[in-house]
Parts: sequence; C-alpha cells; structure tokens
Amino acid sequence: MKKDIEQLPQEQFERVHIDSSKAERIEKPSLSFWQDAWLRLRKNKAAIISMVVLVLVVLMALIGPHLNGHDGTTQNLRHANLPPKMPGIEKMGIMDGYGNLSGEKVDLYAMKKVDEYYWFGTDGLGRDLFTRLWEGTQISLLIAFVAAMIDLVIGVIYGGISGYFGGRTDDIMQRVVEILIGIPTLIVVILMLMIMEPGLMAIIIAISITGWIGMSRIVRAQILKFKNQEFVLAARTLGSNDSKIISKHLLPNVLGIIVINTMFTIPNAIFFEAFLSFIGLGLQPPSASLGTLINDGFKVMEFQPYVLLFPALVISILMIAFNLIGDGLRDALDPKMKD
Amino acid sequence: MSDVLLEVKNLKQYFNEGKASEVRAIDDISFAINRGETFGLVGESGCGKSTTGRTIIRLYDATDGEVLFNGVNVQDKKTKAANKDFNRKMQMIFQDPYASLNPRMKVMDIIAEGIDVHGLASSKKERREKVISLLETVGLNREHAERYPHEFSGGQRQRIGIARALAVDPEFIIADEPISALDVSIQAQVVNLLKELQEERGLTYLFIAHDLSMVKYISDRIGVMYFGKLVEMASADELYRNPMHAYTKSLLSAIPLPDPIYERSRVRTPYNPKDHNYGSDEHVEFREIAPEHFVLCSDKEFEEMKKNYVPKES
Repeated sequence: MKKDIEQLPQEQFERVHIDSSKAERIEKPSLSFWQDAWLRLRKNKAAIISMVVLVLVVLMALIGPHLNGHDGTTQNLRHANLPPKMPGIEKMGIMDGYGNLSGEKVDLYAMKKVDEYYWFGTDGLGRDLFTRLWEGTQISLLIAFVAAMIDLVIGVIYGGISGYFGGRTDDIMQRVVEILIGIPTLIVVILMLMIMEPGLMAIIIAISITGWIGMSRIVRAQILKFKNQEFVLAARTLGSNDSKIISKHLLPNVLGIIVINTMFTIPNAIFFEAFLSFIGLGLQPPSASLGTLINDGFKVMEFQPYVLLFPALVISILMIAFNLIGDGLRDALDPKMKD
Repeated sequence: MSDVLLEVKNLKQYFNEGKASEVRAIDDISFAINRGETFGLVGESGCGKSTTGRTIIRLYDATDGEVLFNGVNVQDKKTKAANKDFNRKMQMIFQDPYASLNPRMKVMDIIAEGIDVHGLASSKKERREKVISLLETVGLNREHAERYPHEFSGGQRQRIGIARALAVDPEFIIADEPISALDVSIQAQVVNLLKELQEERGLTYLFIAHDLSMVKYISDRIGVMYFGKLVEMASADELYRNPMHAYTKSLLSAIPLPDPIYERSRVRTPYNPKDHNYGSDEHVEFREIAPEHFVLCSDKEFEEMKKNYVPKES
C-alpha cells in the first residue's frame, strides 16, 4: 500500500493553495426578504393563477361597464327579462337569446324585436346585466379595499401602541377591544346602518367599525414578540428612540404578517358587504354591488337563473382568488410557519 | 490599575415588586471594574447575570442601588445629550447571534445604526468606509456589507454584533454570554477577537458567561453569582486556586477536563444552600478573607475560612 503511494507519478498532482482571505466568502447572490419571498411565491401555481385572475377581474371591473355601449341604470321596459345573448357564442347553442316562455324554448330577442345584444341578459327593468355586473364588482371591490385599508391603519396603530408601550396602556386598550368584540358584529352594523343614511359610506364604516380588531390583535402579538428581541435591545443600547425602533425594527418585521392578514380581510369585507346587501341593509337601488345583484337574481332564480349566475360566479372567483393569494403569501413570507 | 471605570453599589433589581410573584433577580450586589480589565461574571442559569448586565446598561431601571460609570450614576435622569453620550461609551454584545441582528436589515445598516444615531459620519461615503473598516476589524470583508443576516453563520453573526457595538467607539462593553450559542471552534475565534480588540482599543469588558474555562481564559477578575447574590469575587487565578465559598467549589468541581483518567476520579461536589445553616441573628455579608478575595459569609464562616485559608500557588 505504502509503495503504491510512492509510485504515484508526481507530475499528476498539483498543489492547491487555500486562500484564507476567501474563506468567509458567500457565493450565493444576496436576496432581500421580499425577493426571497417572491421566489417562493412564484413556485406556487395556485397563487399565481389567482393573481392573474384577480387582475383580470379588476380590469373588467374598470373597463367592463364601457364595453358594450349599454348603461347600467337606464331602464327600458320593452327590453325587460331578456336572456343572455352574445355574438359568436350564440351559434354554439348557449347564450343565444333563447329562453323559457311557458314551458317552451323561444327566441325572446326575435319575439320582442330586439336587435341589440345583451351579453348577460337584462333584468326585470330592462337594464343590461353585463354592465351592472361590472359596476357592481367595482363597488364591491372599492368597499372591500377601503374597508381593508381602514382596518389596516386603525388595527396597526392600535395594536402597535398597545403592544409596544405595554403595561397599563395595554391593559386599558385590550379591555376596550374585549368589550367591542363581545358585542355581536351584526347588531353593531344594523344599528349603525339604522342611524346612518344607507350608502357606500355607511357600509364602509359599518364594516370597519369592528373589522380592525383582528388586525390589531395580530399586530399586538407580533410587536410583543419582537419588542424584547435582542436586536431591539441592541438598538436601544445604541440610543435609538422609540420612533426609530418602531419604524426600522418592528414594522419591517411585522409587515409580512400585516400583508397576509390584509389579503384575508379583503375577501371578508367583500363577503360581508354582499351579505349586508343581500339581507337588504346594503346599497340602495339603482346603484349595484355584487350583493344587491345576487339578491335580485335570487328572487328570479327559478325562471331566469342567469341573473343570479354571473354575480355569484364573480363573487366566488374573487373569494377563492383572494384566499389562494393569501395562502400563497403566507407560505412565501413565513416559510417556517412560526406564526 | 486601580482606576475604577464602573462601580456597582448595592444594586437591586426586583421584578413584580411587592406582589406574590416578586422575583429578586439581583439582590444587593456590589463590585467595581477597573479600566482596561475584564471582569467575568459566572453563575448558573437564572442567577441574575444577564439581568445585572442589562441593568448596568439601563435596559432595566434598577429597583435600588447605584451604578457609577466614570463616577456618574447612570440610573439618574439625564438630559438627552448626556444619555446619548452614555450610550456611546457603554455597549453590549448579545447572547443569541440569531436574535440580535434584525433580519430585515442589511449588515451595512445594522453596523451603521450607531453611526446614524450619533451622527458619526458626515456623508454616505464616510459611513460606508467606517462600516467596511469595522467589518475588516472583526475579520469579515467588504462584500458582506450588502448581505442580510440570515446568510451568515453563528460566528459571523456574532462578529457582526461586535462590529455594531464597536461602531460608536465605546469604552466599556458588556458581553452577555457572547459565546454560549456558538460551537467550540468558533468560541475561541470570538474570544480571541475580543481579546485583540481589548489590546488595540483599551476596552473594558464585563464578560457574562457560564463556561468557566472560557471565563478563566479571558477574565482578570471573576465574580461568582448565585440566586441574585455575588457569593465570591477574586482574581481569576486566585479563584481557581483557592475557591472558598461552597458554591464556587461546587461550580469548579463541575468543570470537565479532556483527560479520561482525571475524569474517572472527578467527583462533583453538590451545593446545597441550606448547608450554611445561617441563624437569624447572623450577619451574612461580603468579606475580604485574603487581599482582593471576597466571599459572602457569616462571622462564624469568616473565622473558619480565614483559619483554613492556605494560599496555594499553582
């Protein structure tokens, strides 16, 4: 054995010099937290598809009402209760303008001598449902975003103050929250809507009035977790003041959780708005939201199912998309699932 | 050598004072640290070592007692400027290198935090240069400045933590178990770095640890803590050669040596605080039984210890 080694040809070996100054080098490219999260999110197909779908829905909500030249509020009783009719697809046997009339399938467009196309049909007052659907989506999204933003601002500030300053401040603030959470939300909302003029503002306020509690609790828990971490103590020993500690150390660390939570607040707000509109506490006609449209469709479900179908589809898609994005973000931002 | 930098007088730190859950984390301890020396503080988990460090640097407000730094009581309310000045002179190195660096900040910003707070750099370029020179001081290089803490190993992170503390040019550094979260090979690296820095910059350390052999290696003097009380204090060699308090003896008997023959015969002496059997009229206090060697004892024990004290030279 020893001999073998001695016989090994010298020239085939090369001396390797280890440069100790490079021992500490890191080869991997430097990634910030958000870049890293994006890499993980990109791998989540459901979340990416949901994002695309969501963008499409938002785009449609913005441009949809102007696509077919109809007006969402103009009533035309001559064109009432028309089934969907869409150019192109009509040849395939669906959305061709045929509807049930006393048990028989007849072309209602021809019967009523309507030349225009109503892509998603019309309601009992002859309003174009396609336009109304996207207008309603717009209103629903608007309510949801504004309510989520209000939740976010109030929740983060309230939870942040409560968690950061702790002690008696925290005690008092948490008792207030407990009282608020003890009152059933629906009762608060109904009372609110009774004293306020029904409309957009009333619904947003009604949703936000207790909606921020969840956010504030999450933020408080996070702040409590981080405020005694050693890096915060280090900042304190270096002489950083409270505002610097909050803005540079605490908020960036809590931001991920805030984003995730907001992603779940938005669909909840959409759903709650739809629910309020459905039970008749929401928007008043002629303005439409997904909830009022579903309510209208629900009344004629047996005869004209398409009135219910489209808004129900849109709200389902929105809910699923937001939830899948929220799930994806949670996996991406918090891969260890510590929280 | 007797130039005192930090003096702790009858420091007390009680949590939940007056309630049933009262915890006497620090119960009346006094010691002094001379300029340029390393004072080691050892003791078991939960005996108040870290609390002592944090109270000295004012992360906690002391219940009672004084901490004099350069002759000024740090617990007094002071102006903002005086507070900032104090923050610059006294810094801390933390125990857990994974928790002591903000995961959302680049190393550059972590180290520059003190520079920013105290306005030590007049331009971005100067700030950058300072950070890079600090990185090089602790054995890292300039590329590391643009990276995030999670990309570093424990030892590297601890060195970043040291660089952060050094950024404000402190005189006194409290090292709160800086090596206990690191593996042995890295421990030596960090401790040697601390020693080098001490020589270069004339730093004074309060070195908190529970690893006795490491404390002996780095410290000039050692204080032993037990349940919020300082039970023995002496120079490092003296303490190891002539431990007088029963708890110190027990602690020293627990040190394993990489010597199988010795290890077979090593007997751990358990420590039971009831063995002292202090009567209610006995006055237990810190007494000097040999020059610069203090032990917490009663009158009776004091006489006994003095009698039994045989200075051993190793």
